[in-house]
Amino acid sequence: MAGAYDFVPAIAALPFVAFLVSLFFGRYMPKRGAEAGIIATAGSLLISVWTALTVAGITGPATSYNENLYTWVAGVGDGALTLNLGVLVDPLTALMLLIVSLISLLVHVFSLGYMNDEGETGLPRYYAGLGLFTASMLGFVFSNNLLMAFMFFELVGLCSYLLIGFWFRDDGPPSAAKKAFLVTRFGDYFFLIGVVGIFATFGTGLFAPLTEGGSVAAESFPVVAEQVLEGEASVDTFGFDPQTWFTILGLLVLGGVLGKSAQFPLHTWLPDAMEGPTPVSALIHAATMVAAGVYLVARMYGFYLLSPTALAIIALVGGFTALFAASMGVVKQELKQVLAYSTISQYGYMMLALGTGGYVAAVFHLTTHAIFKALLFLGAGSVIIAMHHNENMWDMGGLKEKMPITYWTFLSGSLALAGIVPFAGFWSKDEVLYEALIHGFGSAGGLAPVYLLAYAMGLLAVFFTGFYTFRMVYLTFHGDARSDTARDPEPVRWNVKGPLAVLGIGAATVGLINMKPVAELTGAHIDFLHKWLLGPEEGGWPALTSTGLHHYEVLMKDVAGIQSAYPLGETPTLLVSALVSLSLAVGGVLVARSLYGGPDPVEHTDRLGGMKTVLMHNYYQDEYQVWLAQGVTVPLARAADKFDQGVVDGVVNGISSVSLFTGSRFRRIQSGIVTNYAALMTLSLVLLLVVFVVFGGVVN
Amino acid sequence: MAIVTEYYLLLSAAVFCIGLYGILTRESALLFLMSVELMLNAANINFVAFAFYWGNLTGQVFSLFTMALAAAEVAVGIGIILVLYRNFDGIDVTEAATMRW
Repeated sequence: MAGAYDFVPAIAALPFVAFLVSLFFGRYMPKRGAEAGIIATAGSLLISVWTALTVAGITGPATSYNENLYTWVAGVGDGALTLNLGVLVDPLTALMLLIVSLISLLVHVFSLGYMNDEGETGLPRYYAGLGLFTASMLGFVFSNNLLMAFMFFELVGLCSYLLIGFWFRDDGPPSAAKKAFLVTRFGDYFFLIGVVGIFATFGTGLFAPLTEGGSVAAESFPVVAEQVLEGEASVDTFGFDPQTWFTILGLLVLGGVLGKSAQFPLHTWLPDAMEGPTPVSALIHAATMVAAGVYLVARMYGFYLLSPTALAIIALVGGFTALFAASMGVVKQELKQVLAYSTISQYGYMMLALGTGGYVAAVFHLTTHAIFKALLFLGAGSVIIAMHHNENMWDMGGLKEKMPITYWTFLSGSLALAGIVPFAGFWSKDEVLYEALIHGFGSAGGLAPVYLLAYAMGLLAVFFTGFYTFRMVYLTFHGDARSDTARDPEPVRWNVKGPLAVLGIGAATVGLINMKPVAELTGAHIDFLHKWLLGPEEGGWPALTSTGLHHYEVLMKDVAGIQSAYPLGETPTLLVSALVSLSLAVGGVLVARSLYGGPDPVEHTDRLGGMKTVLMHNYYQDEYQVWLAQGVTVPLARAADKFDQGVVDGVVNGISSVSLFTGSRFRRIQSGIVTNYAALMTLSLVLLLVVFVVFGGVVN
Repeated sequence: MAIVTEYYLLLSAAVFCIGLYGILTRESALLFLMSVELMLNAANINFVAFAFYWGNLTGQVFSLFTMALAAAEVAVGIGIILVLYRNFDGIDVTEAATMRW
């Protein structure tokens, strides 16, 4: 009987078909291709739900699935690589499939309001882009090996390029699209080297071992790496100490992660990507593209746990990015810009969690963030429709009464983003910080100070997050209307309000899946996500796939040296940590309220003094990257070009002109007169005979 | 009393050289063709002579093949000469010198 797993490839195939349909037949459809996308993503969502139920063991015993489906390069001979396309489904995959297909369905519906109702042209191209974007992200999520993941990763990057540059007739979008593509490509370059390195080292890119009838048929690279460190196996580490080499490989792959997940220093593309249509921003930020980076680290977490150095770098980059991006969000004037920096900051939290061994916390934050950030972007989209595409918050104000549904859902998302209890973001962000804190106190060696530093940055960012989020809310929805459009906004329809309502409820409630503090206090086992990723104690899928939390915890303790310590005892530490982050968030909200909560708020950014200019210019990140390109890369390229033109081409041209010259002389003997040819032949034959006679026949 | 093989070879060499001389000196395409025939027949004489010398038939059979080949070659050659005549109003091979660089 065909089970859910047989249909997993269809989760990505359906949006792909929608892509083709929208592209070729979209112009004949009444909604210009949206129908295909909505039906396909709804289908994907249904199959994802079914898959999740199967993984959870509700429709039978809890299982996982890992199969190669198609061999596209078959290795011949010993040590030759075989490259496969395959599907890996474990709880992490199932969860992510759910998130991606849900968000993308809602984004498709929302697009009806944002694009169709606004009378945009080129819609088949838009919906085709959305379909391909969704398909490639879903394909990336269920990839069972690194190379397949890389291929879909690149497809995701391509689709983001196509969609960000959707309004290609304006000046901004094409340049933003190019920037997004190039910056992420820069990271992917390292990722590609990492993929090649992993294949060269382990001979496989499998994330989880393939099993056949209970025995391992093909080992996965994290497991092999683990065996190497324990001395049970050996691989060619190119002259490095195994752990050093694994760190190098991990960091190379991390390059791609930093690019896609917009982490410092490759975050600069993301704020510019706001030039794209708002639903696309929602999709990029919540479910596809940016989530891909963090998901990749979670996917091969077993490999990263083998390298404390890589973990420390991930934690540090994450913590720094969280604070860095949050501080830039404080001064932005455009609604979507604030959200863009909040995205960078929130993904920083996820990286912080992954770096500090908070696997569950990272996945939890990924989930809640997907919901509330999609909500915030769609809410911003609704506001932008109402404001006739004016995004400056200083022209808004007082929208609260005019668009209540947008206001209340946006508020739900904002509370989640700021991390106010009991909205989603509070539970996940709190868990991220808590994990960083206890591991910071308990870990061995150099990890502890790094973790505590990352924790401090993350904690400080909580305050900024609360501040910029509610600065945004107060400026947009509260006070008096500051422009004519804000006094008389354009109404939005069901196709905008529907997705907002779904996500608004989600942002308020999705945190309930892992209320760790409550679970700790009451002793009730309501940390569902934790159990979901933990799997059964004995046997079951964790034993088969080695991607279970148990396995990760063992690795954390034994290999990475990450330990937990509770300076105040377990429960008090948890509560104090939660209280500190909550009070910081509330503090940020209150400061925002006191500064911008009045009926007629004024700018306070001048009080920052010189800091304001720095923040407005995003710490001159763009400037220095442009300088890197123009001041370093261009001269280098020019020198290389000179070498190429002068030396390499010079040699080639020299050889060819020599042969041209000799050819032009030699062709004179080709007179066109048959008699001459006959004479030449005769002469040559005679000469040959003479040579034979002189040298006595065969010359050896 | 059979004739010694060397004489046949001398005859063959003489015929070949006459053919070669014809090719190198004549300008008429028809004479060219005849000279080529001479050279081919010089080879035939060689074949037959050696077949006689060794006492087997291979050489003789081969010379039959050569004759068939020669007939075909003449057909093609005459065709070329006709075209030559049509295009250059004559069959002087030194006139038709346009097929070159």
